[in-house]
Amino acid sequence: MPLRIYAIHDHAITIEFSQEISEDANMHVIEMQHAIESNPLKGFIECVPAYASLTVYFNDKISALDVRAQLMEFYASQSENVKSGTTKNNKQTTIIPVCYDPSLGFDLPWVSNHLNISEEEIISLHSSIAYRVFMIGFIPGFPYMGTLPQQLELPRKQTPSMKIPIGSVAIAGKQTGIYPAEVPGGWHVIGRTPLKMFDKTKEPCCFLKAGDLVHFKSISLEVFNQYS
Amino acid sequence: MSITVIKPGFMSCVQDLGRWGFQQYGVPIGGAMDVISASIANRICGNEDRDALLECTLHGTEILFNKTTLFAIAGGGASATVNGQPISFYKLIKVVAGSTLKLHPDPFGCRSYVAFAGGLKIDAELGSASTYTQSSIGGYHGKNLDAGIVLELKHQIHHLEKSKDIVINEHGFGISNWKSKSFKLPHVQEITSINCLAGPEWDAFDEKSQHQLFNKTFTISAQSNRMGFRLEGPLLSLKEKTEMVSTAVTCGIIQVTNQGNPIVLMADAQTIGGYPRIGRICSDDISLLAQCRPGQKIVFKEVGGHDTN
Repeated sequence: MPLRIYAIHDHAITIEFSQEISEDANMHVIEMQHAIESNPLKGFIECVPAYASLTVYFNDKISALDVRAQLMEFYASQSENVKSGTTKNNKQTTIIPVCYDPSLGFDLPWVSNHLNISEEEIISLHSSIAYRVFMIGFIPGFPYMGTLPQQLELPRKQTPSMKIPIGSVAIAGKQTGIYPAEVPGGWHVIGRTPLKMFDKTKEPCCFLKAGDLVHFKSISLEVFNQYS
Repeated sequence: MSITVIKPGFMSCVQDLGRWGFQQYGVPIGGAMDVISASIANRICGNEDRDALLECTLHGTEILFNKTTLFAIAGGGASATVNGQPISFYKLIKVVAGSTLKLHPDPFGCRSYVAFAGGLKIDAELGSASTYTQSSIGGYHGKNLDAGIVLELKHQIHHLEKSKDIVINEHGFGISNWKSKSFKLPHVQEITSINCLAGPEWDAFDEKSQHQLFNKTFTISAQSNRMGFRLEGPLLSLKEKTEMVSTAVTCGIIQVTNQGNPIVLMADAQTIGGYPRIGRICSDDISLLAQCRPGQKIVFKEVGGHDTN
């Protein structure tokens, strides 16, 4: 794997495991995050996992050179664990209820038309497998999840929607995500979850984290409305 | 102890040194754009660097002091008066109840920091008082300040040594003789030079773009805010068009859009981005850049080697 280590700030260093989106690379990222957080470097502030890279923020109690050296050491000692896949099998799956009613998943008819797959089939495909949360970003609490069944792949909207409602479950490319706030967005909305993905008053503030496994469960509009 | 916002001016908000520890959930660091000036204003007041204070962009802000208060201003972008009388930045000032601080237009700088002895009393959200309006987190209900808002102050530090010499004048305020030993302050010039290093994707840019970054003048666009400064100038291009896998970004990163426009990420930068990064600004100079207003001309001065592994 072509490993790259570089600074993005005087106090932040990124270790990049791959230049492609893959579940394997993301496992390296999360494994490394756990290793660092359970045995933090002197001066450690926080880790930011992304698809295929981990960024470590630190203060001036440690030099950038020392951080690099320690990251290499972590990498050397953990890569065997990742290869053997021990973490992958211990994962619990989080069930997220989704109502795929077209009144909430308002792009479902268009997606069905465009892909030439029935709405029922889209729902069944989307809720058929467990997705990996690669990272949280874009806005607080937005999970980037994959990998979408190939039949559901389609490009983003040409023109983003101005307002996507909170809880909207959407797809784009090889990915699926959930909008944690009402914002403009370019993904195709196929359903909505009644669960809150981000709540600044809760601990933790985010419902999901990078490395989690997620399974969507189809619920009816009646059940959706029972969540307050 | 409190202050009342009479006018918010161009934009005023509560900030501190940022919200750390939540970037993995997509929450930006935020905090003061010019960390150096914010810290200086707090230190003059005997506060901790991280205490909550006001960030006022350009001019127009008016503040009413409801009780006798010690305060200080640092940064730029405005000149200041108390009860109509000009006052200096970087001084410890005592005002009597009913006094008014006003920020007036000034040709230099962009952001002034008003710190109050004891600090603003703001409940931290996700560990910080800094205002992040995009997600309504921190500050005053997650919003920029409006006329009429009252902000409480923490208990004043009565024993602040450098305030003891202050004599209140006939205008209702007094200035301490205290002067800092040495200041190396950010200084905005006609063309401001910003120290910069090659960024993570430096090698992916063509030679012409690499040359232009460090040899051409860029202008800060009007489409600039606390998230990032868009730069006008030569368009920068990659050797070959490539899609990057999104990865962490932070303030000081110079990313280049598909159209070739450079954007410098600032305090409210999102946590993850997908644009190639041609450069990154040295941390200390992010404060200097924060004092550059739209229309300001800047050049990037290359320091150190290429840090791209």
